[in-house]
This record gives sequence, structure tokens and C-alpha cells, in this order.
Amino acid sequence: MEFTYEQMQRYSRHIILKEIGSKGQKKLLNSRVLIIGAGGLGSPAAMYLAAAGVGTIGVADADEVDLSNLQRQIVHTTADVGKAKVLSAKETMEAINPDVKVIPYETFVSAENIADLIKDYDFVIDGTDNFPAKFLINDACVMAEKPFSHAGIIRFQGQLMTYVPGRGPCYRCVFKNPPPADAVPTCRQAGVVGAMGGVIGSLQAMEAIKYLLGKGELLTGYLLTYNALTMEFRKIKLPEKVKDCPICGDNPTIHELTDYEMNSCGGAF
Amino acid sequence: MASANDIKIDDYVDITDVVCPVTFVKAKVAIEELETGQILSVHMNGGEPLQNVPRSMKEEGHRVLKLTANDDGTYDLIVEKGEEE
Amino acid sequence: MKITVSGKIKEYKDGLTLKELVEAEKVETPEYVTGSVNDELYSAKDFEGIVLKDGDAVEFLYFMGGGLC
Repeated sequence: MEFTYEQMQRYSRHIILKEIGSKGQKKLLNSRVLIIGAGGLGSPAAMYLAAAGVGTIGVADADEVDLSNLQRQIVHTTADVGKAKVLSAKETMEAINPDVKVIPYETFVSAENIADLIKDYDFVIDGTDNFPAKFLINDACVMAEKPFSHAGIIRFQGQLMTYVPGRGPCYRCVFKNPPPADAVPTCRQAGVVGAMGGVIGSLQAMEAIKYLLGKGELLTGYLLTYNALTMEFRKIKLPEKVKDCPICGDNPTIHELTDYEMNSCGGAF
Repeated sequence: MASANDIKIDDYVDITDVVCPVTFVKAKVAIEELETGQILSVHMNGGEPLQNVPRSMKEEGHRVLKLTANDDGTYDLIVEKGEEE
Repeated sequence: MKITVSGKIKEYKDGLTLKELVEAEKVETPEYVTGSVNDELYSAKDFEGIVLKDGDAVEFLYFMGGGLC
């Protein structure tokens, strides 16, 4: 493909970069990223990936925009309250960049649909708020050999790691099993600063872009933690491989996906 | 090294119709389509492009072979594509 | 002995177990934290049997849901 004049303008700051150039920008335009959850993390990720010209972006979420979302879910506006989040997100993303095709999936991910959802994408962003979904996304991505970015935020804290098949541990290597319902607070009960989604969701977009370009070092084999109150980022080294991991270890015991039941506050029963 | 007059031009790009920063972007897009060792001729205005485009081309690892001033105030920059990263 | 806890060097008595460290550091949701000692991961149920030694580097990895909600 040839760049139009508008594309040269739009992507000029990318094309000027040695690490991107015209070839890198074309790679992005031909790439496909799935964002699961159009919330606090998914919002900035969706907007930056759309702005960057990632050609096809899937957004999966079954919720409608609620007034209480708007403190952090910046892809939605006050006028969108009551609208399906995936449609609201699609409108914002396509308004930012009409080059981008946004595919809305108005559904929650489940053991039944997730393999189908992720199969046509190059990279998956986990922007969900609950552990059942996080473990499901991990297991489905490990089984399908899809790279993905995990992230979580609560109060003034955030965390992030990137899984790439064969290049480091998965989410389950570190966290084993979902905690029981209500054992661990989620941001619904504990609160979260809106800008935390901006910091961590933007880092997820950055990991996706670097993966798609094949440039730089990803957060594979590391958990990045961020404490906004002390303003500390820490990159915690993880083991290269966890041999007894039930999904990606030497003798996997998980062979099919299961839905962990979930209570209304996002913990697993 | 090729002498000033017998350089074989592989591609040509006119950046007099665009403004900064698309001047360099358009030239960069053109040279990235070439193979190492091939030659691009860039037709450009004085001022900003004259200052930035040759310098940016060198920074990207390409070789500036020749810069000619034309009577109408435009310039022609001849660049040989360097190694790809 | 000196051990590094979440990047900070601290002084603790010899023979300290990971479980005792979790208590001393007032780690949140101690039953659901993953411990890392010199890049090896341990589940909370195993903390009692992990005796720390001088120079160990310990990290705590917390469940963090949040994002959508």
C-alpha cells in the first residue's frame, strides 16, 4: 500500500522514528489487536491503538456505560451513558482515526466464546476487572499461543505483565488460581484513581505496539508494579519457566477452558 | 563512489508540495521503498527542508551524494540508501 | 541478617521464615499473595517452610483485579 498525504501527516511522528518508519507504520495498519474490557484500562489502550493506526481493533464488553464509569473510562462521554460500551468505544476510536476498523463484540468472554474471539488477533489486551476473566484470558491465550498483556489496577497501584508464547511465564505461573470471591478487594469495592487506568492502560498499548513492531524489550518474565503514592515503578523479575504450571508447564493438567463462577463484585466463588 | 555527473537515479520524490514535518516523512517513505545502494533524488525547497532533510537522511544512515541548487530556489538532493537496521 | 524486601534492604533475625516476614511486613491479603525469593515463586501455603537467609531478595506479588469496573 501507498501512504496518502493525510496518512503521512497523521503518522508523521511515527514514520520519523527509526524504530517505526514507513514499514513499521504499515505493519501497524495491517495488525489486529483485541481489547477485552472497554473500561479503565481498555479506554486508553483503545484510544492510543486507534490513534496509532492499528488497522483492526476488536473490543469485547457486554456492559453499558454508567455514570460511575466516567471518572476513568475516558473512551466514553456523558452523552454515552446507557449506551453499549463497545459502541461508545467504537465511535470514539473511529472519530480519532477513520483508518481504523473497530469490531465490537457485545459480550462477556466465556469458556465457550473466547477461543473464537481471540483466534484472528495478533495480540490481546486484558482490560478486565475480575479474576475469573483474567484466568480465562490467560488460559485461552496460552492454549492458542496468543501473546497478551495482563494488567490490574486498584487504589493508587497498578501492575502489568506480558505473555508471549515460549518467552516467559504466564499469569497462572505467578498467581496459580483465582482467589475466592471477596477474598481480594477489587477497585469496585476499594476504589481507584482514574488516572491509574491511564498510566497502566497506556503501558498495555505500548506493549502491543512494541510486539507488533518487533522492537524493544517486552515485559515478558517481569511483573511491572507501579505505586502512584510513592511514585515507584518496580520491574520484578519472574522465573523464566514454572515447570509445574498447570497450563504452560511441562505436564499441563488444564486441557480445557472453564468458567469460574463470579459474584457481583468480581471475585470467583 | 559515484562521481557528481554520472549518478543513476533509481527513484525520485518531490517534497516541494508538502510542509514540515511531512517533508522529511515523504522523503523517508520514498527511500524506505528502495534497496541498500539504490539512489533517491529528492526535489525540495530551501529553508526548512534544506536544513533538515539532508541531516535527517544522514542520521538514518543514508549517504548524501550531492546537493544541487536550482535557479528557481529549489534544490535536488541525491541520496544513496544505507544498510537496513 | 540483611534481606532485600521489595527492593529495600532490611535487617531481620536469622532463621526468619517467609511467613514471619509476611506478618512483620504487614502484607495485605497474606493468604493470597505470591512470594518470590531470589526469583523463585512460592504460594502462601508454603511460606511457613521457607527459611530466609542473609542476602535473600524477597518480593510480594499481589492479585490485582481492577481495570474494567
